Amino acid sequence: MTDYHLVIDGATTPETWSYIDDDAPLNDAPIISLGRLKDQADALRARGGKLGVVLQADDPDKTRGKTSMGEDVHELAPYLDMLSLVSIAFPIYRNGRGYSAARVLRQELNFTGELRASGDVLYDQWAMMNRCGINAFELAGDVSLETFKTALGELSGAYQPAADQQRGALWARGK
Amino acid sequence: MYRYDEFDHKLVADRVDQFRGQVERRVSGALTEDQFKPLRLMNGVYLQLHAYMLRVAIPYGTLRSEQMRMLAHIARKYDRGYGHFTTRQNIQYNWPALDQIPDLLDELASVEMHAIQTSGNCIRNVTSDQYAGAINDEIEDPRIISEIIRQWSTFHPEFTYLPRKFKIAVTGHVNDRAAIKLHDIGIVVKQNDAGEVGYEVHVGGGQGRTPFVAKKMNAFVPKAKLLAYLEAVMRVYNMLGRRDNSYKARIKILVHETGEDEMRRLVEAEFAKIDASQMLTVPQEEIDRISAYFAPPAFETLPADSDGFTKAQTADADFARFVRANVVAHKQAGYAIVNISLKPIGGVPGDATDAQMDVIADLAEHYSLDEVRVTHEQNLVLPHVQLDDLKTVYDVLAANQLATANLGLISDQIACPGLDYCNLANARSIPLAQEISERFADLDRQYDIGELKIKISGCINACGHHHVGHIGILGVDKKGTEFYQISLGGAADENAAIGQITGRAFTEEDIVDAIETVVTTYTDLRTDGERFIDTYNRVGMEPFKERLYD
Ligand code: HEM
Ligand code: SF4
Repeated sequence: MTDYHLVIDGATTPETWSYIDDDAPLNDAPIISLGRLKDQADALRARGGKLGVVLQADDPDKTRGKTSMGEDVHELAPYLDMLSLVSIAFPIYRNGRGYSAARVLRQELNFTGELRASGDVLYDQWAMMNRCGINAFELAGDVSLETFKTALGELSGAYQPAADQQRGALWARGK
Repeated sequence: MYRYDEFDHKLVADRVDQFRGQVERRVSGALTEDQFKPLRLMNGVYLQLHAYMLRVAIPYGTLRSEQMRMLAHIARKYDRGYGHFTTRQNIQYNWPALDQIPDLLDELASVEMHAIQTSGNCIRNVTSDQYAGAINDEIEDPRIISEIIRQWSTFHPEFTYLPRKFKIAVTGHVNDRAAIKLHDIGIVVKQNDAGEVGYEVHVGGGQGRTPFVAKKMNAFVPKAKLLAYLEAVMRVYNMLGRRDNSYKARIKILVHETGEDEMRRLVEAEFAKIDASQMLTVPQEEIDRISAYFAPPAFETLPADSDGFTKAQTADADFARFVRANVVAHKQAGYAIVNISLKPIGGVPGDATDAQMDVIADLAEHYSLDEVRVTHEQNLVLPHVQLDDLKTVYDVLAANQLATANLGLISDQIACPGLDYCNLANARSIPLAQEISERFADLDRQYDIGELKIKISGCINACGHHHVGHIGILGVDKKGTEFYQISLGGAADENAAIGQITGRAFTEEDIVDAIETVVTTYTDLRTDGERFIDTYNRVGMEPFKERLYD
């Protein structure tokens, strides 16, 4: 059981994946940590099958130095061929590091699999997440699909291009 | 001036509807205050000591007369009859009721105004030179690129939840009136040897408790690539900026901790990728479309001198003093730039009443080609006044307490809201500014002292820019009593510098005398024509210290 329900590409979708702790055995569709992915890369590649990873926006252990940066999305590059899902964690809605991670995945690393927002994923952020290339949302239990669609449509246009289909008014005017 | 097209209108209207929904959800309890906070901030709504406060954006400080009239109307209808022009060229209302704010925003939208991104951890309203398009020797009107940046940064999906607020300023002139080196990003319009216009980009300036002058990150970014470059800076910051401590979250800290060279390497690497994708290369047609809005207004062909103007100065000494202090040469013969000081002796820096705003709107409409500007030093400007009309304009200003002839002088101070409005304050700022201005009220003495910028903050957050005052004053708290620390030698112009603290702080009783001591030390030491800042830079701190502390 999960405490969220999943909307993928605008449709309510049953969850088929599960988050797996670092020391727990894998199942058919596991979402694992970046640390485990890196440590067990060879074995995971040999295993084949579906694999997802979760990217943390916080780094309580400060492994990247005193500045407590989140996990580096670029580290996923060598493994993207084996990943069909990346879940970007938003520990608190106001930590916006994941928006950049999403755009880098979509627009620089050309990741085409499922890109999820997990954690504190709230109404007023959905549209922006969507524009950054996130197509799957773990929503709190009582959010209706209708509410979700309303949120996505609140602004009718965009000035700037991002990872979605909108070109941005600065580019599209007069065309 | 830029005019909204259908797209801009629709988006601002959508935004008001969206905020109306958010306010309703807050009132119904569907949103907690914590969840509502970033949403209201992104729409300019702050919570301060007494009430909500609304900050309205004045992009790059340019207003049309109908917009100024709307600001007056809002002061009357939703506030207590005044507004406060801020150091970021915006206007703040201190007393609007939360449930009326969506209606207020609707009214603003009717004149192409909004409160979008005037607070919150996003890219804030872009600021620029108040003399843009009016001053001689400008490389290019800085409002062109400012408008392009405004559009690019508005509702940017990636950069709306940054580690901290983010401020960009642009100047098109070698004399920096926009304090660009004290911004997260400061941009100087440049021309290269081939005659092409591009931008020098400075990154990592800021005030607050750890002030920094920005580092030059790139000496020349071509015009069409500037957004790609800015997006690269923003992405590096969003991914690497600290979120563990809000006092260390500004990009200045990232630049400082990462090192200037490494930061440059990171930005250039990101820039190369974005540039290669070409997705942010602004099309020439769009640059042309926006540039056309800032084409010079319909100036008349006039003689460079005006007899009437010269005679009026001889006949009216007060007018002559006003011209001397507040009027600046225009690039167009027969015109002048007129500064309106919002620092009357003993007044609240930056405040204007609804009636004054209406008067200024009328003057702009009839005598300044419909334009008004707001300055980061909290004054207003009529940018395009004919010399023949100057006396008439002056008389109207004088009749409305708007003709204080003190621009750039000791009584033209910046002061933050301080203890009277702000719950973070250690000390009062506004009453101190008032006392200083009373002490130096005599205009002849002010002219004798010459250019001298005093900036006052009630606490180390530095909203009053004390770090970059020629004389900076900072409110500090000692066991519940108000004390003031003095710093000297700061500057916010092209020679930006952070001031040095003189030594121990002064009590409320002693601070104005201490300022007087600093000023007389300067007048005793100066050589002919030397401004305060020049003298300080020549003689250093010691002579001032000696006089202050023995
Ligand atoms: C209720 C009143 C206010 C409060 C509580 C407040 C709070 C703050 C805080 C906490 C900072 C430091 C932010 C940082 O550097 O990370 C700051 C900076 C600043 N504030 Fe305010 N402020 C208030 C009013 C104002 C007003 C009225 C103005 C304009 C007149 C203003 C202009 C600024 C500026 C220019 C900075 C400096 C930003 C920089 O570091 O470059 N503030 N304020
Ligand atoms: S400098 Fe301090 S006292 Fe002044 S407005 Fe800012 S936070 Fe308040």
